[in-house]
Amino acid sequence: MYAGKLARLSVSILVFTGVWWTSSGTFFEAAIVPSPVSVAGKLTEMIGNAELFAHLGASLRRIVLGYALGCLIGITVGVATGAIRLARDLIEPPLEFCRNIPPVALIPLVVSIFGIGEIGKYFIISYAAGIAVLFNTAAGVLSTPQIRVRAALCLGARKRDVFARVVLPSAWPHILTGLRIALGFSFMGVVAAEMLAADQGIGFLIMQSTNIIAPAEMFVGFLMLGTFGLITDQLFRVTIHRLMRRYMIPMA
Amino acid sequence: MSWRVLRLEGVGKDFDRADGGVAQVLRDVTLTVERGSFFTLLGPSGCGKSTLLNIVAGFEGATTGGVSLDDTPVTGPGTDRTVIFQDVSNALFPWMNARENVEFGPKMARLGARARQELSEKYLRLVGLDADGGKFPFELSGGMKQRIQIARALANDPDILLMDEPFAALDAITKKHLQVEFRKIWNETGKTIFYITHDIFEALLLSTHLAVMTAGPEAGIKEIFQIDLKEPRSPSNPDFAALYSRVESLIDEEVQRMRAR
Repeated sequence: MYAGKLARLSVSILVFTGVWWTSSGTFFEAAIVPSPVSVAGKLTEMIGNAELFAHLGASLRRIVLGYALGCLIGITVGVATGAIRLARDLIEPPLEFCRNIPPVALIPLVVSIFGIGEIGKYFIISYAAGIAVLFNTAAGVLSTPQIRVRAALCLGARKRDVFARVVLPSAWPHILTGLRIALGFSFMGVVAAEMLAADQGIGFLIMQSTNIIAPAEMFVGFLMLGTFGLITDQLFRVTIHRLMRRYMIPMA
Repeated sequence: MSWRVLRLEGVGKDFDRADGGVAQVLRDVTLTVERGSFFTLLGPSGCGKSTLLNIVAGFEGATTGGVSLDDTPVTGPGTDRTVIFQDVSNALFPWMNARENVEFGPKMARLGARARQELSEKYLRLVGLDADGGKFPFELSGGMKQRIQIARALANDPDILLMDEPFAALDAITKKHLQVEFRKIWNETGKTIFYITHDIFEALLLSTHLAVMTAGPEAGIKEIFQIDLKEPRSPSNPDFAALYSRVESLIDEEVQRMRAR
């Protein structure tokens, strides 16, 4: 069973790489889609001269800070909108409006306000992450079964006990789902922000590669995004699985 | 708290309908439940039984009339009245194991770890789950979950258990076992039970008092019986059978009346 799965995974990766390799220089010009070999060479070179780490470091720093800030705000405001009727009625309409504006669309405005410095990038990532966390958190708080709250009240729980011991734990799976989605959004946000206004980072690397006609650099950028996205998401999955064992909620 | 009777006096409940009108669900319900009795409210589906239980629990206020323990009016939920819900999966705390669920009430009462553990052991044993304290609700069957809910309620030592069709969602065999066991538990603990069901057999098997409700809207009490059947109660007993058909015809009357409307 496990061996079969491993075999299928190997085939999947081999076929994917094979299609890429054979199409490079045939279906696509090698100057546009470089072969895996030249990308691997470029990767080694960029690791050698530490250029890669500068870009990767810049992007990861932005993601970590922007994501953390966005999640903090998202959870706080999400809990408030979920738990307090007045807050919901006041805050939700503009948020429902804002969630339709993709983070990318805000970049020109953000650049006009904050310039091309770091603050603007943190803003974009926090916004992207925050919205996802906020709506999931609010939904989680709101979906607490009424009878669970009532059961707690019968058992002597005071209002703040109900919140801390019943509503929040009931919302927890939703909050974690929001955090995971937000992580993906952070990657999108950072790349978009770096493509438009930066002098470092994976997004910048990809954008710049077309200007200096260095297609392999672009693909190194893709490689980094795919790899780090995969790693963080897997880490997240394992963490959630640990935390959620008590809920028995399967996470896809 | 020492009290003698749970009183419902002229309880009525209106709900705002979606079309802007008002639906009168309950009308002028007057009942007296003596301490220590097993009082069952029997009625056709949708007659407002659960609404009445929610009012007694203090989750909802009555539109007219009120509920009191002797002369103290019920104004909200309290630890003297604990509800056992039918939807046990939502009623339990899924992130707590059986023991932690049972210890929730004692924890809210600020009891120490030792005292809490004694209570959970005692009541898990009472419901026959002493070996399953470490299991989580998702690992347990519907019947076992309902046992935990009963243990959780008893560990909080309420005066009255308010039970909202607690066994209705269980399979026939599990249900039968739990009914018999629960009657034993009632005997041993001496709690006052306010029980809701639409199952005549269950009502006759368990109760000391039985109130048959009229069909809604504007549901009320049709007739109240005191049940003194020979123990152990059995449907093969002629008195049991006679009472069964009497109650059944009352319910049928109400269902007919509801259809005719």
